Amino acid sequence: MTTVLDARAERWWSTAGVGLLLPVALLIAWQALGASVGTPRTPLPVNIVKAAAVMIASGDLPAALLQSLGRVFGGFLLAAILAIPLGLLMGYSRAAERNLDPLVETFRPIAAIAILPLAILWLGTGTSAAVAIVAYAAFFPLIVNAVAGAKHVNPTLLRAAATMGLDRMTTIRTVVIPAALPSIGVGLRIAMGVGWTAIVAAELAVGAKAGGGGSGGIGQMMFVFYAYSIELNRIIVCMLAVGLVALLLDRLLRAMMKKLMPWAVQ
Amino acid sequence: MSPHVGGTRTLPGRSWGALVYLRTMLVFAAVWALVAQWTDNPILLPSPLTVLDAATDLARDLELFEQAGISLGRMVVSISIACLLAVPLGLAMGLSRRFDRIVDPTLEVLRPISGIAWIPLALFIFGIGNALPVFIMTYAAFFPILVGTVAAVRSVDRRLVDVARTMGIPQRTIVTRIVIPAALPSLLVALRLGVALSWTAVVAAELIGAPSGLGYAVEWYRELLATPQVMSFIAMIGVIGYLCDATVRWLNRRFTPWAQSPR
Repeated sequence: MTTVLDARAERWWSTAGVGLLLPVALLIAWQALGASVGTPRTPLPVNIVKAAAVMIASGDLPAALLQSLGRVFGGFLLAAILAIPLGLLMGYSRAAERNLDPLVETFRPIAAIAILPLAILWLGTGTSAAVAIVAYAAFFPLIVNAVAGAKHVNPTLLRAAATMGLDRMTTIRTVVIPAALPSIGVGLRIAMGVGWTAIVAAELAVGAKAGGGGSGGIGQMMFVFYAYSIELNRIIVCMLAVGLVALLLDRLLRAMMKKLMPWAVQ
Repeated sequence: MSPHVGGTRTLPGRSWGALVYLRTMLVFAAVWALVAQWTDNPILLPSPLTVLDAATDLARDLELFEQAGISLGRMVVSISIACLLAVPLGLAMGLSRRFDRIVDPTLEVLRPISGIAWIPLALFIFGIGNALPVFIMTYAAFFPILVGTVAAVRSVDRRLVDVARTMGIPQRTIVTRIVIPAALPSLLVALRLGVALSWTAVVAAELIGAPSGLGYAVEWYRELLATPQVMSFIAMIGVIGYLCDATVRWLNRRFTPWAQSPR
C-alpha cells in the first residue's frame, strides 16, 4: 500500500543527486573552514583542483603513474608466471601440495613490505627492488587461488578424462585449467590490487630510507612533496590518483574477465 | 562444547603433517645454507644458523618480543577503533537503504585509496610516533570490516525479520537478536581480512614513520647492515601475522560454530 506521497519520496531518494549531497556538503565545509581558520599550508579543495591541473599539464603526474604502473605489471607478470603453474600443479597433485604447501604457508604471512630491506640490500634502490616487492605481494593471492581452482574441478570430469585414456598433460590442459580459470581470475584481481598497494609502499619507503635517491614513481613523488617541498595539495592529488588507478585497474581486469570467461563472472 | 566438525583430523594424521612440514623446511634451510656458503658474504646472505643465533640473542634480551608487543598493541587498538566505527556504520547502511544512498558515494571515493597512500599526509599531520601507525592501520582495517558488515546485514534472511515484525517485536530487539547473530559469521570473515590488511599496513607505517615496532626494527638493523637481525625481525612479522590470523579463525569457530563448513 504505497501512497502517492510515498512513491514520490521513494523516487526522490533513488535519484543520483542524493548521493552527491554529502560529498558536496563536505567539500563546501572543508573549503570554508580551511579558508577561514587554516594556515596557508592547509589543503583546500579549490587548490587541490588547481594543483591537479598543473601536475597533469606538466606531465609529471602521468609520468610518475606510468613508471609505477610499469613496475606493477613487471612484478605482476613475474608472479603470475611462477605462481599459476605452481598453483595448478599443487591443486592437481596431492604430493606436490603436501611438499610445497609448508613453504607457501610459512612465507605468506610475511607482509611484502617487510621484505623491502632485504630487497634493497640485494637489488639496490632502483626498479628491480620495487618489482621484486610487487612480485612477492602478488605471488600469494595468485598461488592460493590457483590451488583452490585446480582442486575444485568436478571429479566426474576428471574420471571421464581418465576413462577416455587422456594423459596427464592433456587432462590438465583440457579439464583442470578451464575449470580453474574463474578462481585464477579472482586471484589476478586480488593480486593486482595488492601489487598496486605494494608499489606505493615500496616507493614511499625507498624515498624515505634511501635519502630520496631518485627512483621515481608515484610513491617517491608523494614522499618528495612531504619531505622536501611540503605541498599538501599535491600530496592529496597523488592520493586521489592512487585511488583512481586502483579503481581503474580493478574495473579493467573485471571487464577483461567478463569478455574472456563470461561463465566465471557472477 | 562438543568437538566441532571442522577438525576431525586424527592425531597420527596431524603429526604426519608436522613431519612433512619439517621435512620441507629442512630442505629449504639446506638449500639456503648452500647458497649462503656459495655467496660467502654474511651481510648479503647469512647462513640459517647465523640467523638462528641472532634470533635467539634477540629473543633472550627480549628485544624481539618488546618490538613485537609494541606493534601488536598498536594493532589491537587500531582494530578496536576500526570495529567501533565500521560495525555500527555498516549496520546502519545495511539496514537503511536511504542512509546507504547518502553515505555510500563518499565512502566509495575513499575506499580505493589504500591506507599506505595516506602515510605522507598522515606523517605531516601526526608526526613520527604512535598516532601515525594507529591511524594508518585503523584506516586499512576500516573498509573491509565496513563492506563485510553491510554485505552481512543484507544477506540476513528477510523471512526471519518479517516473522519477527509480524510478531510485533520492536526494531531494536530485531537488530540485536536476529540481524546481528545472523550477520556474525560474515562479519568475522570480514574481520579476518581487516586484520590481515592492517598488519601489512603497520609494517609500512612503522618502516617510514614510527620510533619503535617491528617495521622500525627491521629498518634500523638494515641501516646497520645487520642482516641476521633483519631476517629475525622479518620472521617475527610473519609469526605474528600468522598468529593473528589463527586467532581470528579461532574466534570464528568459537563464536559461530554453526557457520563452519565441514572440511
